[in-house]
Amino acid sequence: MLADREKVKAGRDVWVPTVCAGCYNCCGILAHRVDGRIVEIKGDPNAANSKGYVCAKGLVRAIDVHHPSRVLKPLKRTNPVKGIGVDPGWQEISWDEAMEISVAALKKVRAKDPRGLILSHFDIAGYRLSGAFGRAFGTVNMHWNRADYCGSASHPAWLITNGTLNSEVDFPNCKYVVLWGTQLGHMVNTISLSASSELSEGRRKGHKLVVVDPFCSNAASKADEWLPVKPGTDGALALAMLHVMVNELGIYDVPFLKGQTNGPYLVKPDGHYLRDAATSKPLMWDPADGCAKTFDTAGLKDPAIEGSFTVAGQAVKPAFQVVKDHLATIDVEEMARVCTIPIEQIRRVTREFCETASIGSTIEVDGYTLPFRPVGIDYKRGMAAHKGGMNSCFAIHMLNLLVGAVDVPGGQRGVNPVGPYWTAGVSSDGLIIPSDFIAKYNKPYPGRKASIPKTLDLQELFPVALFTRGLYPLGIDDPEKYGIPYKPEAMIHGRTNHMMNSHDPAAMAETLKKLTFQLSIVQFIDETAEFADVILPDSHDFERWDMFPANDPYAFIAPGPGEWYFLFRQAVAEPPGEARPWTEIYMELAERLGILPDIYKLGNEMWNLGDAYKIDPTKKYTLREIAERQAKTIFGDAFSLDTITDTSASILRKKTTQEAYPRMFLPSRVPIYLEYLLDHRTDVQKVLDTLKFDWDLSTYSPVPHWIPCEAHAHMRGGEYDLIATNNKVPTHQFSTTTENMWIDEVARANPYTYSVMMHTSAAAKRGLKTNDMVCVESKYGNYVGRLRVTELVHPESVNCSGSFGHWAQGLPVSRKKGVMHNALLPKPTLDRIDTLSGQIDQCVAVKVYKVEG
Amino acid sequence: MARYGMVVDLKRCVGCNACVVACKSEHNTPNGILLTTVLEKEMGIFPHTNRVFVPVLCNHCEVPACAQVCPTKATHRRPDGIVFIEYEKCIGCCACIEHCPYHVRTLVLDNRVLYSDGKTTFEKPVAQKILNKVATKCDMCYHRVEVGQKPACVEVCPAGARIFGDLSDPASAPSTLVKDHAGWQMLPEKQTQPCVFYIG
Ligand code: SF4
Ligand code: SF4
Ligand code: SF4
Repeated sequence: MLADREKVKAGRDVWVPTVCAGCYNCCGILAHRVDGRIVEIKGDPNAANSKGYVCAKGLVRAIDVHHPSRVLKPLKRTNPVKGIGVDPGWQEISWDEAMEISVAALKKVRAKDPRGLILSHFDIAGYRLSGAFGRAFGTVNMHWNRADYCGSASHPAWLITNGTLNSEVDFPNCKYVVLWGTQLGHMVNTISLSASSELSEGRRKGHKLVVVDPFCSNAASKADEWLPVKPGTDGALALAMLHVMVNELGIYDVPFLKGQTNGPYLVKPDGHYLRDAATSKPLMWDPADGCAKTFDTAGLKDPAIEGSFTVAGQAVKPAFQVVKDHLATIDVEEMARVCTIPIEQIRRVTREFCETASIGSTIEVDGYTLPFRPVGIDYKRGMAAHKGGMNSCFAIHMLNLLVGAVDVPGGQRGVNPVGPYWTAGVSSDGLIIPSDFIAKYNKPYPGRKASIPKTLDLQELFPVALFTRGLYPLGIDDPEKYGIPYKPEAMIHGRTNHMMNSHDPAAMAETLKKLTFQLSIVQFIDETAEFADVILPDSHDFERWDMFPANDPYAFIAPGPGEWYFLFRQAVAEPPGEARPWTEIYMELAERLGILPDIYKLGNEMWNLGDAYKIDPTKKYTLREIAERQAKTIFGDAFSLDTITDTSASILRKKTTQEAYPRMFLPSRVPIYLEYLLDHRTDVQKVLDTLKFDWDLSTYSPVPHWIPCEAHAHMRGGEYDLIATNNKVPTHQFSTTTENMWIDEVARANPYTYSVMMHTSAAAKRGLKTNDMVCVESKYGNYVGRLRVTELVHPESVNCSGSFGHWAQGLPVSRKKGVMHNALLPKPTLDRIDTLSGQIDQCVAVKVYKVEG
Repeated sequence: MARYGMVVDLKRCVGCNACVVACKSEHNTPNGILLTTVLEKEMGIFPHTNRVFVPVLCNHCEVPACAQVCPTKATHRRPDGIVFIEYEKCIGCCACIEHCPYHVRTLVLDNRVLYSDGKTTFEKPVAQKILNKVATKCDMCYHRVEVGQKPACVEVCPAGARIFGDLSDPASAPSTLVKDHAGWQMLPEKQTQPCVFYIG
């Protein structure tokens, strides 16, 4: 039963505004409810992120709610043996019994060491709630999920330069868009609907689109030029392009580098900045006066970015010169051979990019003269999820930075570094730092101090990472090995499916079995919930209230000009059976554990509650009441959630030019040379020495390198002669959408979605043809699927879509449909982890052979 | 009188299938029946290759082969150009299905929308309930068009790849697009004169 059920919009036949949770984009929608049943979904025209559109994944959710396999009652496991295919012997129990068992187990953990509890979900609207729960409980192990799936390597590259979690491109103005391992603007990735709309408009206007991807994705299919890079060699391609840009064409934005980056900072031969003895501030060379001055010296408008100088007997070079010298060592022919893109094409694309950047051109926006750089590169998981992920991300982003196409009209842009109640900061070295509102505890720059791990995801060994959540299995399996001073004991799980979203399910099963108690709050008994000791029925997000706003504003409000709008998720219907929102279940657990007042105290800070709206820890509130206080904090006292009856979006005000195009207004500079990594490297090395670990830390380089993947070495052995990767289709999100029968229908009608894709030449070599059943096998695991021979995939690669191939009994629609790429991957090993960002390599060498069926 | 039609802009379409699902949801079509689909046509040789996404639906032909063979006049062309099936009159003889050059008609064998348990049905209010043992196809969302709304697939498309309007009005959006971009019809040699045009 729903708290605040009397607040649900009344009526026999009504459209209720709410926010879709089919993916993380939080599109504003209207849900049609007739006689208490949700019957259809449409876009909310007032929601500026989705502009009235809604994608296939969102539309079909109307029927999800009524799925006959939903869990409706609390269950407990009667078979103590856990494992894949083992019948848990579920027994229906009362709500109270489920709570009593769970609370007893949690109390035991808390008494022993509260850090033994892991909170696990991937429901962005609930992070701030479970975060407060975790802190009140006393655990540091929060949010085990696959957010690292797309972002461990890519998010830090934006956080240190744009000061934002996510990235986008100014599509309406960008004349040359490069999408690199991402399908932004093709109903995938962030701000998906407005980006898709803007990019289609751009295509009609003749804007050029280049897509770098080993698979001819939907985005690559729409591109003017597809660069089918060999998997895991994106860094090689980026370095080749950088070399062509800087050393062959010599096209870069000098005023931007001088005024907006650390390009002029003087660097010593040991790689560190030359600092002012008195203030410790980095120095720049002033050619006019022939001497070094601190970077913030007033009037120093024209520092040197090239050349070499001597300051107090010390040989130094501006950081840009160091970058340039580094790029001069890149063997372009070799990089072209590595990434399999012809050298002429690399040169031509780079030239087109540089020339379209129109360096020097400006545009008037609301009375301000701003640089106009109509080129932009966005990149994400496809290129980032590799061994050298962060180095490759930074190399690619450097192409944006060197032409000054960052957070100015036309270019790549961060998603809201500056907002109505947050702004990017500046470090003592003059560089951009994301606002606390965007990344409070885990800023990749300046970074944290490396130490012996206390967290099961080993984040302390990655002081410049954003998150390392994919490493939880390492900490859970071997806490002593990493110096973790306690044992993992229990997990509260829901809305993420570890068994399918990570690696070899057999290995993950062993990890889950290490936990003595697992509470799963789920709508369906999926592969991970099969390991639960107690199951509580979760509501659908159409059956719950969320905190305000549902769209974390720094990540999911469209960047660039427009309005600040906030979306509110409200309940459309009652949950069926005994189902309740997981967020409310967390609150009930907290109350029974006696930590609710602590959550409220923490919540007063974490939930952005203004002084007049702080909650009283001695009282009790519903989530909707808390949401109302959050809303009033933003909109003022007159605001009431009761008025949100026709649209999900509440508009605060128009964005200012400073907020829409922040770069030229910010007091900070952007790094093109990552000096801060050097000290972190020393710190990490010390910790590794204590733990007696031998890690390769060459990733901590101020200038980017290409680092090959394990798959490249394995391929040389001859037996595993293809690289397996997977792609994303616009109709699916993670492994969850497959259980929807309408989406399943669309997927079955599509020749690619559930197939294994292999290039014609590779298939011919193996005597394989379309519709053969094939086994794709790595050193670590395999999957079996139906082959589709195609020209759409790199000849050295084999590809499949999504994370499909469910096997849980509780998922009747998606069982045995499609294949699961992650089954090919081992539990992360050092050879497959980016030691800089914690990103896990998702490509793997495989052999492919025919099987019966 | 109007001649309703649609322009499909292949340059804009990204193959997201929102239209396919919006149509499914609007009509609550039985399991396995889609009134519009997006074909994916692989073109070229690696690395100069791509997939062309081609949304297809009933062409609402001016000379509809289906209506010509329909013995009960269940299928007929309305004055506004929409080729319409009156399910009550349809006897499921399949003549239209055989004669449609575009293969966009389906015979309904089981008109229920069944969940995976094979028992639970999904019901929702629709303009014209699809009956058992009838031919079905895109109805150009006549119930929306009649009240001034766009068809469901048109409204939902984030790429603006489906443009609906009156082809008899030379100033309408579809007429202008057909003119400016040399719009073409599917299988013109069949002389059915489709009201669905493609531009690329
Ligand atoms: S909704 Fe639009 S872009 Fe998407 S498949 Fe349909 S026509 Fe193409
Ligand atoms: S496309 Fe086929 S069903 Fe539609 S009007 Fe033409 S002949 Fe009839
Ligand atoms: S016009 Fe209506 S019935 Fe025809 S394809 Fe579009 S949504 Fe379906």
